Amino acid sequence: MLTPIEKILFILLALVSAGFTIHGFKTIIDTIRKGRPAPELKNIPGSLVKAAITVLFQRTIFKARKALSAVHLGLFFGLITYAFVNLFDVMEGLIPNFDLTYSGKHIAPPAWTVPLINAYNLISDVMSVFLLIAITVFLVRRFIVKDKALTYRENVLLNPKVKAGGQARDSLIVGVFVIMHVTAHVLSQAFRLTEGADPFMPFASFLNSLFGASEVGVHVAWWVSLGWVMFIIPYLSRSKHTHFFMAPVNLGLAKQNPRGQLDPAIPLKVIDGRKYDPGAKVITDLAWKRILDAYACVQCNRCQDVCPANFYGRPLSPSALEVNKRYLLKEATFGSHPDLLQAPLTETVISPEAVWSCTTCYACVRVCPVGNEPMADIVDIRRRMLIDGFEIDSGVQTALQSLATNGNWMGKGKRLRGRWAKEMEFPVKNASEEPVEYLWFVGDTASFDERVIPNTKMVARIFHQAGLDFGILYQNESNAGNDVRRVGEEGLFEQLVEQNMAAFGKAQFQRIVTTDPHSFNTLKNEYPQFGGKFEVKHYTVTLLKLFEEGKLTIKNKLSHYKVTFHDPCYLGRYNGGFTAPRKLLELLGVEFHEMPRNCENSFCCGAGGGQIWMGKVAPGERPAENRIKEALSTFQSHPSDKKQLFIVTCPKDMIMYSDAVKTTGNEGKIEVRDIIQLVAEAVGVEEVSQIVG
Amino acid sequence: MNIVVAIKHIPSIADDLPVKGNNVDFDSVDFVLNEWDEHSIEQAVLIKEAVGGTVTVVGVDLIGELDNALHLALAKGADKVVKITADDPAADSHQQAKWLAEAIKGMGADMVFAGVQASNDIDGQIGPMIAAYLDMPYIGGTSAIEVSGSTATVSKEFPGGVGMKYAVTLPFVAGVQSAPKPPRYAPVSKVRQMAQTATVEKVAPSGEASSGLAFKKMAPPVVTGHAEMIEGSPKEVAAKIVELLKSRGLA
Repeated sequence: MLTPIEKILFILLALVSAGFTIHGFKTIIDTIRKGRPAPELKNIPGSLVKAAITVLFQRTIFKARKALSAVHLGLFFGLITYAFVNLFDVMEGLIPNFDLTYSGKHIAPPAWTVPLINAYNLISDVMSVFLLIAITVFLVRRFIVKDKALTYRENVLLNPKVKAGGQARDSLIVGVFVIMHVTAHVLSQAFRLTEGADPFMPFASFLNSLFGASEVGVHVAWWVSLGWVMFIIPYLSRSKHTHFFMAPVNLGLAKQNPRGQLDPAIPLKVIDGRKYDPGAKVITDLAWKRILDAYACVQCNRCQDVCPANFYGRPLSPSALEVNKRYLLKEATFGSHPDLLQAPLTETVISPEAVWSCTTCYACVRVCPVGNEPMADIVDIRRRMLIDGFEIDSGVQTALQSLATNGNWMGKGKRLRGRWAKEMEFPVKNASEEPVEYLWFVGDTASFDERVIPNTKMVARIFHQAGLDFGILYQNESNAGNDVRRVGEEGLFEQLVEQNMAAFGKAQFQRIVTTDPHSFNTLKNEYPQFGGKFEVKHYTVTLLKLFEEGKLTIKNKLSHYKVTFHDPCYLGRYNGGFTAPRKLLELLGVEFHEMPRNCENSFCCGAGGGQIWMGKVAPGERPAENRIKEALSTFQSHPSDKKQLFIVTCPKDMIMYSDAVKTTGNEGKIEVRDIIQLVAEAVGVEEVSQIVG
Repeated sequence: MNIVVAIKHIPSIADDLPVKGNNVDFDSVDFVLNEWDEHSIEQAVLIKEAVGGTVTVVGVDLIGELDNALHLALAKGADKVVKITADDPAADSHQQAKWLAEAIKGMGADMVFAGVQASNDIDGQIGPMIAAYLDMPYIGGTSAIEVSGSTATVSKEFPGGVGMKYAVTLPFVAGVQSAPKPPRYAPVSKVRQMAQTATVEKVAPSGEASSGLAFKKMAPPVVTGHAEMIEGSPKEVAAKIVELLKSRGLA
């Protein structure tokens, strides 16, 4: 189709474009390689295939925003189709008489290819329409409806170029490109239809009926369509739309370790004898995979939507973290500021206040369609801030100092840990002194907090009644260190692990049961790295087993309660412990209603990752308060006179939500109870203690 | 600038305080660093960071467990640590001040800091006694110390929001009430690194002194009653208070 001069021009243009594209992606790859070693990945080809399938079905985006995700699906398949479209368009341009209209009759194809050609013509024609619709929806959403989900809070640290509208500009360029590219392609086909409509090209045939056929039109439309591509591909490597290429790769290389296992503060793998300080101060202190994160992110802000800190009005947006990282990398590698690679992350990427607002609830990582881990960056930044002597919140400092000296964050002496057990009406075995089947790891809050101790005692009574052979470690138990590690105090975490491992070593037990999801998480997922090879159960699982084995039986069905259940982050999202509590509630016979945000999508109470230690309380509606409102509105759609209960399975939740019920003025409307209180009532164990104070 | 910080190891009250005879049962109590000493270490390190110099931390090892506190001091920025191996958990503040002064004597200190008091005896004697033994001036209850040349500007806070600044010529002894900033956090990895690499200099206790006081009796406080919250409008509350006072024969 093209004249010889056009062909030469096109090939030259393609070479220049390829040059810029190769330079772009080589720069990106070199930048990613500047990152630290990441935990070893196993079976990378397998993971990549799995990721390809995920991408093909667009599985991960449907975790949120279902309607927009469907539009994204259209866009995705449209662009995939257009990869082929562009290939055939180039062939049309370069190969004389290559023309696929009218079932390809101009090229006299073998008979068996005719259906394929028809299918191609139809798919590309229909996909063109889908693409135009999809891109229009996205452009309207961003520029006309101005969806707030695409913006950031005023107090979130943003790269000046993002603030000046860099992302919107990228969107506009790519949006206009897609519209012009697709329109030009379809027109180039429409102008070829010299013999009227092609039944396999309805859209092109429609345009043909408006504009007719034109030899010049074919050339102009072809150049517009393909010329744009030659410009846009190198551009993509320098914009947020690196997403197109990097998202599938990132998904294929995503975290393989359990969700509840943080990457080490110092890489285990050392390259060329390099020495690493713990955590991250500058961007190249991050693992290479988390530099890749920045290129995979297209700033859809799904993470921001589910972030409890962001909800609370804190200056944290996981998405802003990623976009700031990418702009920093762009200015350092494509721009003229290589020194930015040495700029502190807390000045360029995320504000210190935002760093300390994260509850480590994992919602951002869970919801991210491309497998990013902004939370891991935050923990790494905390780690270095602690080592570098940044002034930390006084409450956190007090907690850490107490943890270092007393093994608990409450400033209580070690010997007081088992005091509640000594007050029981039956002896609670000391697992350090006699063998037990179940070693009950009680945790700090359940051991020391007066508001939670009645529940702790009730767990002991129920275990005792069921004939469970259990014991506790008394003063030999130390805080498991889950939140210590997430606050960034890796050294203290290791010290606590050593103390607990020593205590476990002296005790004889078959498995661990814990009432604390935070302890559960680190014991299960992180202690194995320190030699802790034991089975760990959350008490909801153990209780369910006791019922199933007939060791506990229901005497009173609790049908007079209307309840909802809050999934604790570290039991649910982190460790998939969704079913045991729900099965228990079913057994107990309560009227159960699920909140809109449940299981994987549960909303954090706001206490995790050290937030419960913070001395300063920020103004605004707290996540726990919002959650209580969610529970009440859930109950509202099922009106009855039954007593309304908010059921928890985490000592921290007991405190957070009891407070939230008071601060939202909902006392009398809803009551927070640990599931053990319901179990006690159902099996007829006396002294169901109410929360006090 | 050569700054010496004298610290004190005291029984922890995180647990219930065990009593044996007429004193604390030292065998079943943990020892911790006196809270005010954390401030004097911080104050010393801040001065070092501002004008340079060395910080030496010295303390009496009462139960053989002072190393932890010394490693912590090193992790916070002290350069050298010294322990006086006394092994006498009941040593009073006068005795400790004498031992500390003897140990500090040869150090050529420009400034000596001690916590203004300790929560075990609350007698505030260590600083002044050291000053007396070393024949240096003493200033107690400081809230900030800045050094320029051979003069220090020492801030003190008084009730009613009154602040005062003193110009003090070096050398001197200060009883630190608080550092101008909260004592910094020492990450455990640094403390442990110090525990593995640092050397703690040992000094034998020398000299005798005593406050001349003896414990007659030590007992946990007896719980006599609880606070009663009076509810109602201000008028009702006032009426109830009057009634209560009358019923106790106080009005």
